[in-house]
Amino acid sequence: MKIVVTVKLVPDTNAEKRIDPGTKRLVRVPNETVLNPFDEYAIEAALQVRDARADGSTVTVVAMTPESGKEIVRKALAMGADDAVMLCDEAFAGSDVWGTAIALAAAIKKNGFDLVIAGSQSTDAGTGALPGALAEYLGVPGLTYLRKLAVEGTTIRGERETDTGFQTVRVEAPCLVSVTKSINEPRYPSLKGIMGAKKKTIAQWSASDLALSVGSGGAKTELTAQASPPVRGKGKLVEAADAVAGAQAIIDFLKEKKLL
Amino acid sequence: MQHAIAFVEQKNGTARRVAFEAVHAAKLVAEQLGGEVHAVVFGSGAAAVAELVKAHPATKIHVLDDAACNGFLIDPIVDVVAGLAKELGGAIVVAGNTMIGRDVASRVAARLDAGINADVVAFEVANGTVACVSPKLGGLTITTCAFKNADFGVALIRPNVFAAKTDAAGNGEIVALAAPTRAYAMTIEADVDEAAAELGVEEASVVVSGGRGLGGPEAFTTILKDLADSLGGAVGASRAAVDAGWISHGHQVGQTGKTVSPQLYIAAGISGAIQHKVGMRTSAVIVAINKDGNVPIAEFADLMVVGDAFAIVPELTRGVHAAKG
Repeated sequence: MKIVVTVKLVPDTNAEKRIDPGTKRLVRVPNETVLNPFDEYAIEAALQVRDARADGSTVTVVAMTPESGKEIVRKALAMGADDAVMLCDEAFAGSDVWGTAIALAAAIKKNGFDLVIAGSQSTDAGTGALPGALAEYLGVPGLTYLRKLAVEGTTIRGERETDTGFQTVRVEAPCLVSVTKSINEPRYPSLKGIMGAKKKTIAQWSASDLALSVGSGGAKTELTAQASPPVRGKGKLVEAADAVAGAQAIIDFLKEKKLL
Repeated sequence: MQHAIAFVEQKNGTARRVAFEAVHAAKLVAEQLGGEVHAVVFGSGAAAVAELVKAHPATKIHVLDDAACNGFLIDPIVDVVAGLAKELGGAIVVAGNTMIGRDVASRVAARLDAGINADVVAFEVANGTVACVSPKLGGLTITTCAFKNADFGVALIRPNVFAAKTDAAGNGEIVALAAPTRAYAMTIEADVDEAAAELGVEEASVVVSGGRGLGGPEAFTTILKDLADSLGGAVGASRAAVDAGWISHGHQVGQTGKTVSPQLYIAAGISGAIQHKVGMRTSAVIVAINKDGNVPIAEFADLMVVGDAFAIVPELTRGVHAAKG
């Protein structure tokens, strides 16, 4: 089975992000870029499926990233993925969900796939729209928000989180699944894995390799304005003498705000 | 782009609250484009929900009340919504930013080769071009993104932003949709509601969240749940509480969970580190209860009460009940 995992670079989850007031763009600090946390669950899920099958199945990591993202791709290889494809091209800069999904779909088709595993969202843009759009462009069913995944032969079974509980769902490969953080505990790359990753293949494909013209020129959405929200200042602080006084302070405040 | 299609999410005859908000958001855009509002209601119980949609401003309400569709995930809905958009020739598709809403919208967008804007809080229409205003990066910046020279566009609206007043009666015409005839690959084998009556945190107008300071899982199903119920809200949680296994990930608010923006956010025993802050800082009013008055949330809460959440929360619930009579 050919398993493909999509990964993305995002600003570090724990770093306070800042917008440059001049350029109105996110200030990107090189050392604060990490592998999208949700993608680590996707990689781990892929490795578990591959290792359980033990039939020569492979895990390929696909990332749309400038060359500077190589370290992140290497981390996925160090965790145990077999090889990687980086979509590096100036033409991809400024891609929106549409442009990204089209480019990733073209790359995944070129690589070949039976099962695509994606993180359910990214921690930067966080639209959560990529897995669905990617499945559509790949022309396969998409099982989203899985917290459990089992593959038997070509049958994919999963437990899907919903807003009110869960669903058990089934589909035949080829398909795409997206996973949530409940699905597993991603492994840390071992020293052996880190050393081994250096020998693994990282292919670099451009837009012309994929016969594509996407990116900001081909994006379907266009940023026309950007504004800073009002700064949220420090509010009222009440030291509660006891529980009743603490609760009363909140009740009074809620009444004042017409919330009660 | 001339018309607007609202996806009315419902399950077994109960509509999501944001579903009606989608109809009103669709109306806002269609009005300025000089087009019609088409609502789509799908699945078992759709006919009952369609009756409720009549109290909202839709020109036509397309209904498929067919239990046969319940066993497939979203594929039949995508076929219907994308098919209707093509039939109309140009339309913006509006759905709530919920799990199903995102799934349907993302596939419809790809099917129509359209752009998608998520977490939309306002629309701007000028010269026939529709732009969506959305907070990004956890409210750090507010962007306006236009659909470029497009016949189609897809917008996922943030719940609790577009008011769904029922006085704007549309008395829309009910149109029966034909059931899709193609075979679908995805099968739902079981659908389990763990908390049927519970509102998702993304949609709730009040969210009561707990964190590490609550020390264990019990508080989430007892005192926090009671307070949330008294305010008609939902229970949320910090990453620490979810990672400790005290409550399921569906309740997590923050960068690796959900982004919420309720009228009132109550944080009990949550320090408010950046990872949590970006998921809730656009809430209208934030109240924090913490033993330590120097935690990060004190810097941006509208009211910070320094005290024991375990003792204050039940008192607060009693106070809310008393105030509501």
